[in-house]
Formats: sequence, structure tokens, C-alpha cells
Amino acid sequence: MQLTFPHRRTWLHRVNPVVKLVLFSLWFFAIILIHDFSVMINVAIGSVLLLIWSGHPWKRLLLYASPFLLVFVSSTTGMMFFGSGETPWFKWGIVNITEESFYRGLHLGFRALSMAAVGLLFGLTTRPVDLFYALMQKAKLPPKYAYSFLAAMRMIPILVEEFQTLRHALKIRGMKKQGKLMTIYRTWHRYAIPLLAQSIRRAHRIAVAMEAKRFAGGAKRTYYYIIGFTYRDIAFAALTAVLFAASFAAGIQWPYIADITDVR
Amino acid sequence: MARAGQGTKSRGLKLTDILVTIVIAVVFGIIYKVWGPMYDVVKPIGVHAEQTVYGMWFLAGTFAFLLIRKPGVAVLAEVAAASVSALLGSEWGISTLWYGLLQGLGAEIIFALFLYRNASVWVVSLASIGAAAGSLVLDFGYGYIKELSAWNYTLLIGLRVIGSVVIAGILAYYLSKALELTGVTKVLRPASKQDFDALNRA
Repeated sequence: MQLTFPHRRTWLHRVNPVVKLVLFSLWFFAIILIHDFSVMINVAIGSVLLLIWSGHPWKRLLLYASPFLLVFVSSTTGMMFFGSGETPWFKWGIVNITEESFYRGLHLGFRALSMAAVGLLFGLTTRPVDLFYALMQKAKLPPKYAYSFLAAMRMIPILVEEFQTLRHALKIRGMKKQGKLMTIYRTWHRYAIPLLAQSIRRAHRIAVAMEAKRFAGGAKRTYYYIIGFTYRDIAFAALTAVLFAASFAAGIQWPYIADITDVR
Repeated sequence: MARAGQGTKSRGLKLTDILVTIVIAVVFGIIYKVWGPMYDVVKPIGVHAEQTVYGMWFLAGTFAFLLIRKPGVAVLAEVAAASVSALLGSEWGISTLWYGLLQGLGAEIIFALFLYRNASVWVVSLASIGAAAGSLVLDFGYGYIKELSAWNYTLLIGLRVIGSVVIAGILAYYLSKALELTGVTKVLRPASKQDFDALNRA
């Protein structure tokens, strides 16, 4: 999502969003197929390096990237402590770290890191409007869906405002925080039901208004923004291919840990 | 409920259905994003306590179907909620989209098996298990679940299924019942015989 902070527009902002979506999806499936530990580290390093083209200053990037550390730790430890393996290293209660599970855990951590980095890059360099316009123009997404999405995105600030109002209203009526499980459920209800009910009413009104203005007719649409393919799309696809090829070549030529290749 | 200006027949999704589904999905997309860090904090405890809250990510699909009982709603809601959380910069990036698609399909298949006519708490719970199965398909490749020790992955799958039944099945059902009391769901459903009788009486 385009955040309202000032930032530079880089060439990645001008890459067609459909191309980015397809490439990053392929990225995900490629990562599922990488079982070589060194190759995975290289790909993860490459993914993080791509963030230099995000157009945001590095201090802010660090702030956005702070949950990555959490994901890295959480992805790693589960497998590291409880994975299967032959060479035991450390055992403490149910925790059983073996050499295999240790590297497999790290492998999963780097997988998560790589996905997180390209996901952040996608979020930072793609405006929702561009994404849905590109999907309509280049991926044949029906306008009904695309405009519904855009209308729904516009409702996020209204939703936040309503949430604040609700919070204040409950506070002024003397709602107190309580820790019991049933109270948590009731609190959840108090917020969820009015927010959902209002959102549905508003969505319904918008749909009626759009139909009244003859939206979703069969006629050919024209667009305010035309989002075409440019040489930058080819450049980005090529860059991705080079990144993976280089990671593979380097990972197989110079493995980081000599005897660990396939982590499975 | 015939609506002017709409070329489609009553079977498919109308603009109202799509818009309402996506708006619900956006609400859940924000919840999905907020849920991420919580899941990660619980996860390193290691006995898969985090799996019990995993069902939260299946809620959009089953809940949307409970409101709009039409084909495709569950998939649309899950994909939309996933893409919102991806656009907000999800920690799992674009993979969220694919998880969303499979989870939605998992729930959708169950609803389709009941011909989209049955929305009892049992069917919704079954659909949430379907969604859990959809997420597990990807996790076997992406998360190396098979390579966990046997007791550990049995626990993982068991807790995820239980969690999804509680959250995406039972909680979704009662949430939708509570929402029906507000009366907003009336605009989403076709006019029933009672409505026509009410008109005749007047």
C-alpha cells in the first residue's frame, strides 16, 4: 500500500504491477523448490538487496523490516527444535536439535526472509490504483471486481475513524478492560458487529449508486490511467533471472557449509 | 431480487455481492495483518500453541459465505483479504495470496458439496477444516512439515484443525447470527416468501 510518507519514485515503481505480481509469485514457487542451503542464503541476500530500489530511506526500511526478525526467529526455531535428523547436537526435554534440523530451520528462516523482503518491495513500489488498473487492462480482471476493490480500499480510513468513535463511546459509558476469556469474546462482539454492520450498509449503498450510474454495463471501458508494458518490465524480469542464476551458480560453486547441500 | 442495470442472471455474483464481500474481506484483511505478529510471538514456544490461532486466517471465507450464500463468495473473500494484507506489507509477502487462494478453495469445495444450500454450524465447521487442508497443502512444500518429528507434526495438524473449527467454524457462525439480528443481512438475500406475503397483506 502506498504509504503517505515522502519517498523517491524509482524505476521499480514504473514496472507494470502485473509483471511484478507474476514474477513474485514465481519467486514463491521457485523458493519452494530450492532445497540447497547455500543457494537459499544467496537468494535471501539478493531479495534484501533489491530493497535499495524501494525509494524509501534506509532508516524507515529498517522500521518496516523489524517484523522480519520476528518471522525469521519464529520460522527457524520450530523446525530447529523439533525437526527430525540423525546427528544429535543438543537435547533438553522435548527440544531435540540435530545438525539436520538446525540447518533446515535456518533454511526456513531464509525462505521467510526472502518472501518478506520481496513482499515489502511489492507493497512499497505498487500503488493499489496502478495494480487494479493494470489487472483490468492486462490481466482481464472484470471491472466489477477491480472497482469493488478500489472502493473497499477507500473505506479503510473511514473504518479506522469508526473504530475510534466506537472506542470513545464505549469508554465514556464506563467500559473497563477485563481479562476473562468470556469478556474478551464480548469485547470482540462489541467492536466487530457495529463495524461490520456499518461496512455492509455502506457497501450496499455504494453498489446501488454505482449501478444507478450504469456501472458494469457491457460497453467497452476507457481508462484514465493507461498502464502498458515497457522495457523496464523486461529489465526487471531479466534481473530476477540473473539473481536466481547467480545464486545457484555461486551456491553450488562455493557452498557455505561443505557437507550440507539438500536440507530435506 | 431483480436489479436494473445489471446484465447478469441471478445465479452469478452481482455488483452488490462482490462489493459487500470485498468490503468484509478488507475488514478481515486488516485483522489478518495485525494477527501476524501475534502468531509469531506465540510460535517459538514450540508446542505449536500458535496453530490454535491459525484459524483466524480462514475466517473471511466462511464468514462471507454465511452472509452471502452464493458460489464463489468464499474464494473471493479469502483472496481479497489475503491481497489486502499483502498490500499492507505482510511478513509473508506474496505467498499470502496463494495461501488465501488455496484456503478459499478448500472452504468453497465443502460449500459446493452441499450445493450452497446448507449453512449450518456443522457445514461451516467442515468448510473450515477444508480451509485448513488447503493451507496445509502449501505448508508441506514451504514449511517442510514432513521433516518435523512425527509427534510434532501430528500435533501441528491437530491443533490447526481444532483452532480453525473453533474460530472459522463456530465463532464465524455465531458472529453471523449476531449480525443477522442487526438486520443488515436482509439487503443481501433474495426476497423470501414471507416478504411477498407481507406485501399482499398490505
